[in-house]
Amino acid sequence: MTATRTVLGLARAEAFRLVRSLLVLTGLLAGGAVVWVLFGPWQPLWWNASWQIGFGQLVLAMAVLAAAQLAAGRARRDAMSDLYASFPATAGARTAAQLTALAGAAPASVVLVAAATAVARARGAIGTPDVAVLAGGVVLVIAAGAVGVAIGSRFAHPLAGALGAVALLFSSVTSHLATGANIWLVPWQWNEDALGSLPGPLPGYPPAGAHMLELAGVAAAAATVAFAATVGRGRLRGGLAAAGVLAAAAICLAGALQLRPIPTASLDHLVSEAAAPASVQACATANEVRYCLYPGFAALLPSLQAPVNGVLAHLPARPDQPLTVSQVLGPDLLDSSLTHGHPAPQVSAWQARTLSAPGSAASASAIYLPVGSWPAASGQLNDARFEVALAAAEWAVRLAPTVSARTLSSQTFQQCVPVGQAREAIAIYLAILATHPPAGELRAGLGTGRGLFGSVVGSKFIPDWVFPGSSAYLTPQAGPENTAAGYLLANAMTSLPGQQVARVLARSWGSWLNWHTTDAQLAAALGIPMPSVPPAPPFLPGPGPGGGPPQAPLCTT
Amino acid sequence: MEAMKTTNVRTAVVRADGLSRRYGAVRALDGVDLTLGRGITGLLGPNGAGKTTLLSILATVGEPDAGQVSAFGLDPRNAAERVEIRRRLGYLPQELGYHRHFTAAAFLDYVAILKEITDRRRRAQEVARVLAATGLEDRARTRIRALSGGMRQRLGIAQALLGEPELLILDEPTAGLDPEQRLRFRELLSGLPGEPVIVLSTHQADDIAAICPRVVVLLRGQVHFTGTPAELAATADGRVWAAGERDPRAHLSWRGGDNRWRHIGEASPAGAELVAPTVEDGYLLLSHAADAR
Repeated sequence: MTATRTVLGLARAEAFRLVRSLLVLTGLLAGGAVVWVLFGPWQPLWWNASWQIGFGQLVLAMAVLAAAQLAAGRARRDAMSDLYASFPATAGARTAAQLTALAGAAPASVVLVAAATAVARARGAIGTPDVAVLAGGVVLVIAAGAVGVAIGSRFAHPLAGALGAVALLFSSVTSHLATGANIWLVPWQWNEDALGSLPGPLPGYPPAGAHMLELAGVAAAAATVAFAATVGRGRLRGGLAAAGVLAAAAICLAGALQLRPIPTASLDHLVSEAAAPASVQACATANEVRYCLYPGFAALLPSLQAPVNGVLAHLPARPDQPLTVSQVLGPDLLDSSLTHGHPAPQVSAWQARTLSAPGSAASASAIYLPVGSWPAASGQLNDARFEVALAAAEWAVRLAPTVSARTLSSQTFQQCVPVGQAREAIAIYLAILATHPPAGELRAGLGTGRGLFGSVVGSKFIPDWVFPGSSAYLTPQAGPENTAAGYLLANAMTSLPGQQVARVLARSWGSWLNWHTTDAQLAAALGIPMPSVPPAPPFLPGPGPGGGPPQAPLCTT
Repeated sequence: MEAMKTTNVRTAVVRADGLSRRYGAVRALDGVDLTLGRGITGLLGPNGAGKTTLLSILATVGEPDAGQVSAFGLDPRNAAERVEIRRRLGYLPQELGYHRHFTAAAFLDYVAILKEITDRRRRAQEVARVLAATGLEDRARTRIRALSGGMRQRLGIAQALLGEPELLILDEPTAGLDPEQRLRFRELLSGLPGEPVIVLSTHQADDIAAICPRVVVLLRGQVHFTGTPAELAATADGRVWAAGERDPRAHLSWRGGDNRWRHIGEASPAGAELVAPTVEDGYLLLSHAADAR
């Protein structure tokens, strides 16, 4: 009883020191920063965000590992072994206390989860948090602490803990070198490309429960090692050996569970969601525009409708071809971490189906929003909305994409350039009216101060205009390559009274949409001079990879 | 002498029988027999005499190669009895490191838990008590790295006093203390309640003379003297002289603060004055005899 009270008393003291240690506090802040960075500018998807939070826990776990090692090695490092040996509390009791004290790291871990969850919710996270994954992050922190105690019980030098923490990080950040299911055997890993591109949680993937069991096994194995360094001979040794065997068995069982292939039916369903989204998506029509979203993404609808409606509100006439705004899945949906354990022909068949899915080719009447790139959150949302508005405006002015390749996976994909075309300026003007982006951001698209960028059409260099967030939120890069001239004229149009511009556009709307109608003609009709375009660089190297600007086709449809 | 030994055996709390310990080719302890009763016992000996080895064995930290120790009738070779001895023990090792980033109070609180003082209120009282006893109460919140060497030594003494141990083993506790602190330390030991068994090793013969009713001289791993400080001083009776000149025949000679030479030897130098021996004289004479053997 006295021994138990002593262990608990020591554990309380050690936990207090652990949770107040500068290392752990730094780890907590750094972990939070990592989660913030991983969330990026997008609205979090919980089936991915839960693992992103876990990666923040890895940073905290590194700090807890180092702090626990320092605590476990403290007596020897500070030349106090003789004094400690004279106390009634045995070395085994001290080890038990240090392991128990790791519970003190749990609140820090939970704080990280809570803070990240609050941020995710504030950003309108989609889906529901995966409790097993989030709990696994807490287990990771405690397991790392146990490893720290095990290291500290044998190696008192602070460098040992630091090396342990680096090894933990190294094993996780290099897990991408592993293939198939093997990545799940490392202490913490998530495959953002795969998870962030899924339209929802995939049952049984990633194997969070088994991963947590593996971490618990690692914690038990580390505790066994720590006790083995401190307890004497006899029955305790036998008990430790048994505990070690059980821990190893738990790790092996967890490994076997993690290496199991994802059921064929689950992957079939996923491929169907990619190849035939209409079969699972919920579609709604508003203002004669059809919006199709995967279940769970309905909350996106208002943020999509606003920029599209903003463009439609200023149109003198709508195209005959109706517009569809649809979510799609990326073409690289199926990586080996998903398809491991399935026969190659089956995997090839799945990949073939995903490559022919909507969104893999440009369409004149559709705006495709890839899951994972949209929805955007926070400050990036405005950029995303502008891109949707511009895509809608380009549909409205029939500035259809011209591509020389049918799929994104091909490197020959190429955008056309609407050189000197009035309709490009009109499209940019409509997008600006619809979303009112900051003027400074629009101007920054000219690349002022960073040299000239552009394409070569025929033999002429055409400076381009790359607005903020360009091509970040839609797929494929359906629109044309926007030109500096188009933006400058659109910008000049915004300084005119709206009614004047509307009258000029409405008077000859059909003519303005013709690709032969020039921006100079539009400027003349509006009664404004054609803005001057930055001059071409004095010397242009030849086009192509590693050379000068790429050769691009003229938009002629 | 025989009567005193009998008394010691009857009241013995700690007993060592035939303790030997080697470190490679070096024989640190060589058949040490010792009995310790309640009160303060001073352990005198030069560097390398085996004092620290003996004290670490008495503190159940070290193990002898041969011989055995018992304390309070308990055998430290038995794990349960060893823990029981440790529950009654306060130990200050000779070279004690510190958790430098702990505050003095936090360090003592931590040690108090290791000493199984699990009740928080009692622990706080104990920490306050030993801080006050060692004059560190105003340094309770100071980190150990900011304490002076003397303060750290007092902190080491303070941790040994936690829990009011019945057996207090102090290995050179006055090292690093200034004269005032040494006086305060003597006062502290003399005033400890319950008359614990105290063993302290020191190079300061005047510490022994001032506070130890009993002294043990350890030379080359063997006990060469056990008795009172007066008895140790008496071993030099008739062999200590004061003179104006140095006597080359003397075993030991040094010039005192009165500018006269103090000689320890077998023969009286010409014109020398026989003086009353001190504990230090007795110890030095014993040490010289052991070296000469």
